[in-house]
Amino acid sequence: MSFKDRNIWLLMPALLLIGICFLYPVSWLLQRSVSEPVWGLQNYFTIFSKTIYLGVLWNTVAIAGATTILCALIGFPVAYSMVHSSPWVRKILIFSVLIPFWTSILVRSFAWLVILQRGGIINDVLIGVGMMAEPLDLVYNRFGVLLGMVQVLLPFVVFPLFSVMARIDGSFVRAANNLGATPIRAFFRVYLPLCLPGLLTGAMLVFIIALGYFITPALLGGRGDIMIAQLIFERIDEFGDWPLASALAIVLLVGTGLLFLLINALLKIRGGRI
Amino acid sequence: MTDQTKLAGLSRRKFLTTSLYASASVAALGIGTRSAHAAVDLSGREMVFASWGGSYQAAQETAYCNPFMEATGATVIQDGPMNGSKLRTMVEAGAPIWDTVDVTDTFLVANEELFEDLDFDIVDASPLDQAYVHQKGIGCIIWSYNVAFNTDVVGENTPQNWADVFDVEKFPGKRALRDRVYPMMEIALMADGVAREDLYPLDVDRAFAKLDTIKDHVIWYTSNSAAQQLFVDGEVGVGVLLNGRTFDVFKKGAPVNLTWEQNIRSIDYLVIPKGAPNAEVAQHFMNATVDADNQALMANTLAYAPCNPAAFDMIEDDVLPWLATTQENADKGILINAEYWRDNLAEMTERWTEWKLS
Repeated sequence: MSFKDRNIWLLMPALLLIGICFLYPVSWLLQRSVSEPVWGLQNYFTIFSKTIYLGVLWNTVAIAGATTILCALIGFPVAYSMVHSSPWVRKILIFSVLIPFWTSILVRSFAWLVILQRGGIINDVLIGVGMMAEPLDLVYNRFGVLLGMVQVLLPFVVFPLFSVMARIDGSFVRAANNLGATPIRAFFRVYLPLCLPGLLTGAMLVFIIALGYFITPALLGGRGDIMIAQLIFERIDEFGDWPLASALAIVLLVGTGLLFLLINALLKIRGGRI
Repeated sequence: MTDQTKLAGLSRRKFLTTSLYASASVAALGIGTRSAHAAVDLSGREMVFASWGGSYQAAQETAYCNPFMEATGATVIQDGPMNGSKLRTMVEAGAPIWDTVDVTDTFLVANEELFEDLDFDIVDASPLDQAYVHQKGIGCIIWSYNVAFNTDVVGENTPQNWADVFDVEKFPGKRALRDRVYPMMEIALMADGVAREDLYPLDVDRAFAKLDTIKDHVIWYTSNSAAQQLFVDGEVGVGVLLNGRTFDVFKKGAPVNLTWEQNIRSIDYLVIPKGAPNAEVAQHFMNATVDADNQALMANTLAYAPCNPAAFDMIEDDVLPWLATTQENADKGILINAEYWRDNLAEMTERWTEWKLS
C-alpha cells in the first residue's frame, strides 16, 4: 500500500459520509430487527422458518446468479472485441454499452415491455413472417426479468474486464502457442486466468447489485419472480412491519457481505498464482 | 399505497365549464350549507394537505382547498404523495408535517391508532351517507374495482361478471388481475358462484382453488397505470380495473369499457394524523369537504363518486353512469369489508405470496 499512515485523515470525509449515511441507519435497522416486538431473534426465525421468505430468498439468489452468469457469458466476448479492435470500432462499442447504461432503468424496463409483449414488435414480426401462429410469452416471466436485468447490468462486467484485458501482454499467449499449445488450450490456460481478476470483479458487482433489484422484476416479472427487495417494500409500505423488513434487509446485507469476502479471498488465491 | 384511481383530467375546456358551473351553483345556493364554515375566521392560520398527487390532487385542490381558503382565510399547503410508510414514520416520530391526508379505507381501519378523532362539534357529517363516516375520518370519494374489457379483443360478447373473467374457454388469452390479496379473494369467490351477500367471512381455500384454475393465464399487475396500458394495448381482453381508470382511457378513445355487475366499492377517507400541528384547522377543513357543491365539483372533474347524496343533483349526465354510488351501480356491487381486511390482511398477504410462488 502506497498510502502512508499519517495521510489517514484524507479518508475522513468518506468515512464520515459512510458513518452517517450507512452505518447509522443500518445499526438502527439491526436494532429494530432484534428489539421488536420483543427482544430476541424471532424475526430471523420467522424468515428462516416460513416457506415464503425462504422461497423469495432462493428466488433472489437464483435470479441474481443467472443474471451474473449471462452477463459474464455475454460481456466477455464484448470486452474482448473492444480490446482487439481498431480505436474507431472500439469507440462505437464503448458507446453502445454506455448509452443504454445512461438511460433510466424505469424507461428501459417499460421499453422492454413494449418490445416483448404479446402485441409487441418481436411477436408481431414472428407472426407476420409466419414463424409462429400464437404469440410467445416473452415477458411477465423469468425470461423477461433476466433479459431486462442482463441489459441493465452488462456494463458492470464489460468495463472491469475491458480494463484488465487491455493490460494483458499479448506475448504470453503467443509464447504458449509457440510452445505447442492449441489456441483453445492457450486461451484456457493462459488468457482466461489473466482475465479472472476482471471477470470476478465484474461478476461480483453484477451479483451484488442484482441481489437488491426492485423495479425490473416488479415490472417484467410474473407470478413467481418476486425478489427480496419487493418483499421488504411490501412489509413496510403495507404493514408498517419495520422489524421484519429490517431483518430481511440485514439478511440481505450479511449475505452480500459474506459473498464479498468469499470472492475477495478467491481473488487473492488467484492473484498468488498468477 | 398505489391503488388509487388518480385520473388524468378532462379537457381544459370541460374543466373550466365545470368550475364555472360549480361556482355558479355556489352563488345560486348563496349561504346554504356553506354558512357553517363561512362563519369561522381562520385568517393567518395554515394547514398542510397531502394526497396522491397528479390530476386527482389538483381536482381536490379546486374542489375542496380553494373554496375553504376563500371562505375562512386559512392557507392550505399542498404536499404528498401520500405514502403509508412515510405517514406511519412521521406519526411514530411524533412530528407529522401533514394535517389532512387522503387514505384508503383499508389503510384507515388497519391503522386507526395513527389518526386523531374527528370533532363532530366542528365537523357536521349529517349530510353524508353514514356508511362513509368514520370516527377518524370522513369519506371523500368512492371508487370501485370493475370487470373491464377491451372491445377490440373480446368483440360483441363482452364479459358480464367475474365468472366470465375466469372462463378461459370463452375468453382465451391473458387476463389482467390485481397482484394483491384483496380484492382478488372477493373476485375469485364471486367467480366461483358465491353470492355477494355471503362473501364474508371469506372462504379462503375456495378462493385459492378458484385462482388455481387460471394461474397461468394471468398478467398480475401492481401499478394501475400499467394495468391501463395492458387494456389499451389489447395485451389482455378481460380483467379487473378501477372504474376511474377505465373512465380515463374510455374518455381518451380507447376501446375499453366496464360492467358494473359485481363491482367492489372502496372508499378514500380524509383523516388527521395524530399530533398534526394544525389539527384544529384540519377539523374545519373536514367540515368544508362535506359540502355537496364541493363534492359535485370533484365528481364532475374526475368521475369519482361523492359521499354526500345531495351532490348527485349537480352531477353531469355523462359522468353519472361512471359513478360507483348511483343507486343502480351500487345495487350491483358490494362495499369491500375493510374490517375483515384489518383483521386478516397480514396473514393473508403471506399466503398470497406463498400461493404466487407455488
